[in-house]
Amino acid sequence: MLVGMSVTKEQARVREPKECANEMSDCLRKVAEQRCRVSFSTLFSFFAPRVKSYALRQIGNDALAMELVQDTMTNVWQKAHLFNQEKGSPSTWIFTIARNIRFDMLRKQQNRKEDICSDDLWPVLVEQTADPGEVDIEEQTTLDQVGEYLDKLPAKQQVVIEAIYVKGKSQQEVADELQIPLGTVKSRTRLALQRLREILKEHD
Amino acid sequence: MIKYHPDHNQLLQFARGEAEPAWALLIAAHVDMCPHCQDELDSITEKLSEQLLPEASLATTDISFDSMMFDIMKLEPIETETVIPEKHFLEWEGRQFELPRALRRVATKTESWTKLVGKLWQAPVDLGDMGKGHFIYMEKGGSVPEHTHRGNELTLVINGEFEDGHRCYDTGDFILMNQDNTHMPVSNHDDGCLVFSFVDQPLHFTSGLARLLNPFSHLFFK
Repeated sequence: MLVGMSVTKEQARVREPKECANEMSDCLRKVAEQRCRVSFSTLFSFFAPRVKSYALRQIGNDALAMELVQDTMTNVWQKAHLFNQEKGSPSTWIFTIARNIRFDMLRKQQNRKEDICSDDLWPVLVEQTADPGEVDIEEQTTLDQVGEYLDKLPAKQQVVIEAIYVKGKSQQEVADELQIPLGTVKSRTRLALQRLREILKEHD
Repeated sequence: MIKYHPDHNQLLQFARGEAEPAWALLIAAHVDMCPHCQDELDSITEKLSEQLLPEASLATTDISFDSMMFDIMKLEPIETETVIPEKHFLEWEGRQFELPRALRRVATKTESWTKLVGKLWQAPVDLGDMGKGHFIYMEKGGSVPEHTHRGNELTLVINGEFEDGHRCYDTGDFILMNQDNTHMPVSNHDDGCLVFSFVDQPLHFTSGLARLLNPFSHLFFK
């Protein structure tokens, strides 16, 4: 029996996924309903080498490619009941599983912790569940307040900030208008922004 | 009616799993709301699966496949999924807005609403390493001060309508703005407008008092 269940590569090389969609669908159904090992070995023989060559092209690393094959085929074995023939062919379903796993592997490699996961994007293996989440409460600064904060600046700084950020004048224009050195305008701007930033932080 | 969609290349990149994370999230949410793009994505995915899983290459004659297969078959089936916390509705002033599926998990990280100027509200959403997205609610007559963009601004209309001096947008519309676009979104819809928005660089306000905001524009919508 072991011989009959091993990977038959010759068969895998000749046939197109399209040609055997019905057969593979039947296999998935039997895996879902009866944990049919023969059906799974048919699926495995056909898809594992294909997923492997996809993974190798995408990742270029044999060990990671094998990990992707293992995770993909494990999902096929454990979640065959989520396959829906009306929604697409077995090869499309298995491709999306492999694509999702590759996507998550890539995110993990990039050390992204709270990033989106493939389930958010392509819900191929997810059954919908409801659970209203907690909402954090955090005070935020409003645009209105920024205007108010401006009043808290020393008058000389206010004039400079208003001229530059509200009226859209250049620092040189402001210097000419107020008849003060450019350096003074620059330092007043810098100090004013620094102060505003502090005020914003205090109210954050 | 939805008029603005991601283009074919953006959908293709998305289907390949190669879109920028924030783009992918917004595209996925749009696809949830748009049967047209759902169909196109399905057909793209089907073609991709034919192209990408065509046949086994010679490099895959791997002896470890057999043991892998038997290891897998030792595992028990998984019937029930782990429960992922989700937020199906977003509330604003007692009104409830249904969220597209793709946003339901990230929406659990929504902070409280803050009123901005001019009948405008924002609620930041922590997107982890991607930064922050924002739900923005424009009450009737509410508008975002005129601004241009230093990077990309992606917007999905969750509920309602708004216009920006160039075009009108409706529920489900997917909008991409960049440094070539200056606009002033305003909602004249009776029920206002709820959007989800992501900017990768702070907005640059271009007119009036709003210019004052530019040094702090990272605090708003970014």
